[in-house]
Order: sequence, then structure tokens, then C-alpha cells
Amino acid sequence: METASKEGELALSEVIVVTSGKGGVGKTTTTANLGVGLASQGHKVALVDADIGLRNLDVVLGLENRIVYDITDVTGGHCRLRQALIKDKRFEGLFLLPAAQTKDKTAVSPEEMKELCGELRQEFEFVIIDCPAGIEQGFRNAIAGADRAVVVTTPEVSAVRDADRIIGLLEAAELRDPKLIVNRLRSRMVRQGDMMSIEDIIDILAIDLLGVVPEDDMVVISTNRGEAVVQDDRSRSGQAYRNIVQRIKGEAVPMMNLDEGGLMYRLRRMIGLK
Amino acid sequence: MLMEIKKAAPGKGTMAFSPGDTGDLIDDNTILVQRTLRSGQKVHFDGNIVVLGDINPGAEVVATGNVIVMGSIRGVVHAGAAGDEEAVVMAFRLKPTQLRIATHITRPPDEQAGDPEQPEVARIKNGVVTIEALLTDRQGVI
Repeated sequence: METASKEGELALSEVIVVTSGKGGVGKTTTTANLGVGLASQGHKVALVDADIGLRNLDVVLGLENRIVYDITDVTGGHCRLRQALIKDKRFEGLFLLPAAQTKDKTAVSPEEMKELCGELRQEFEFVIIDCPAGIEQGFRNAIAGADRAVVVTTPEVSAVRDADRIIGLLEAAELRDPKLIVNRLRSRMVRQGDMMSIEDIIDILAIDLLGVVPEDDMVVISTNRGEAVVQDDRSRSGQAYRNIVQRIKGEAVPMMNLDEGGLMYRLRRMIGLK
Repeated sequence: MLMEIKKAAPGKGTMAFSPGDTGDLIDDNTILVQRTLRSGQKVHFDGNIVVLGDINPGAEVVATGNVIVMGSIRGVVHAGAAGDEEAVVMAFRLKPTQLRIATHITRPPDEQAGDPEQPEVARIKNGVVTIEALLTDRQGVI
């Protein structure tokens, strides 16, 4: 395991929770891509899997077989934080704190999470927490130590409804000004009026848009390989995640054109202009 | 989160009426909700409710008096919850999941009628909940 950075406490470290309410909208995929994206630019990043009992951030990152200790071992005092952090295979600055699989959400308390985040903050520039679905203790644990929240939704009424509920709960927990990622958008269906548009979603949720990730087979392909699509220079979803990473860092990046499969897009792609 | 306001402190301001004023048309039993109500949030008040924001799907507003929303109603609204048939619901965009006035419960027709493009008011007329464009005249809207 790598030793603590020598500069001491990082002034600009941030704890970001990735949440959604509804399951299956892409919290874990988003967490993994943000982590890999930030780490590939040389940042020190810790990813925390708060989904105790249903862990899978380790699987998505391809680090499952390296787990010895998990988050409950740290909060329970069975090991030191440094021992439980798993170093990524590819990126020097990327670490994972895995969830426990044989326990449930009550194994950790919000106070313990706050303390844990405070400890991670000493060493990492970005701490990204993968929140479990639902609004119960797992959610309360995940948001307890966070400074900022990213809400992930898909363009479906059920996911948007749950996102709205989550935004209300975040506000009640004093996590103001959450940012929105709309995942798995199919612009052709939006054009045909068969899918909610970004405008429809923003109209209801009324929060700032951090990015839009188009539906892309590459996400499934790279996830199954234990890779992150953000590293794939040619995929559109990868580009979307790279843009989101820049916006997380506070840079203004224009929203990408989501019209898929247009003639111009295919032509430009053919001559290698992305 | 459950934002339940069952009983608020009575208005601290004093009201003064000049002679000839119809003081009986004015009451001070109103609360102002200065935010959008999101899914899972609820406001209950024994009086009138004015919302500066939207009422999103999954949110609920229950008043024994009138409900006035300076935004869109997409959730459930109940005016005249204690049985007042004179209560009204007013919104810039009235497209509720369900709208209740006194003991009447209504919902929008199943076929899509398109979104309203102007402020509307719902009230009971001849025993039926009726929705009309909000038109003001010198007599007021109610």
C-alpha cells in the first residue's frame, strides 16, 4: 500500500456522493468513470462503496479478487484505513474502499462514515462515494460525510420521480445545490417524442446539469471487462464522462452534441475527427 | 422528509380596515411556502396555502382553505380539506396528479389533453369540480 502524501493535508479535497434513489440508473458506473477519469489526470482519488451487502464497485473496477478488509473492518476498528484501501491496477492515484458483502447497512453508522470521510480527506483530492439505491440507512450513511452530491437519473418518469425525492432529502440534509447527470439518453427516441428530453427533466428537477451520457453499448462492454469507458477515446459515452470529469474540476465544458448516427457525425468519425 | 405544518402561530401583524371596508373578506390564516415541494414532501395547514414554486409529482399539499401555487402543480392538492366547498385551487400551470376540493376527488382525463398554457382555477360549480382559465375582474377571482 502506498504511503501518505508528503504534502500533508490537501486543502482542496472534496467528498462527493453519487446518488439516485432508484436502482440501476448507473450510480456505480458513474462513480467508477469519475474515479478513473480523475485519476487518469493525475489526481489522488478514493472511491468508497457504501452499498454494504450488495457491493459491486469492486467488480466494475476489476478489483474483486484483491479484497482483504472492507469498510466495516475499518469502522469496526479491525484494521487501519490504509490496509483496507485497494490500489487500482492501472492508475497510481486511484484507490477503492470496498463495501462488506456479508453484512447489512446497519453495520456502519452516519457518524462513522463522517469520521471515515474526514480521514480520507487528509490523503485524497477527491473522495467519491457510491450510494446504494433507496432512502434508508444506506443512503443516510452515504451522504453523511459528503460536501457535494451528484444525482444520476435516466430519462424515465420513475427514475426522475425518485431523483426528485432524493433532491428533497439532500436539501433536508443541508447538501445544497446537487448536480444532475442524465444517463442513457437516446436522442433519436427523444426526437421522436418517445423519451423524456433533457428540458423535460430539468423542468421538473430544477437543478444544474452536470452532463448527459448517451446510451452506448461500449459501457456494457467495458464494464464487463472491468474497465471504465471514460478511457475509451472513441466512444461517445467516454467523451461524455471526460466532459463531466472536467466540469467536476470546475472547468466550463460545452455540452456535447448528442445527435447520434447522423451523416455528418459518421463522416467526421470516418476521417478520425470524433 | 415530512414537512407537516399542522398549526402555525397566528399572524403577528395587525390589520387595519378603513370604514366601509369589507373586513370579512380578509383573513390572516395563510402560510407562504417559499420553495418547490418535491416528491415525498407534504405541507398540511389549517388555512390557506400559497406556494412560491412548483408542487412536483409525489408531493402533497393539504389546506382547509384555498391553495394558490405560483408555479406548476404536478402533485396532489387538496383544498377545503375540512369540507369547505367554496375553496379553490389556483396555479400558473394546473396539471395535478389528483385534485381534491372538500369531498370531491378528481384526476385529469386519461387521454392526453396537452399542457395548460395559462393560469387556471379549479372550484366546485353545481356540485362538480370545474377548471377554468384564471380571469380577474374588479370583483376578484373567487
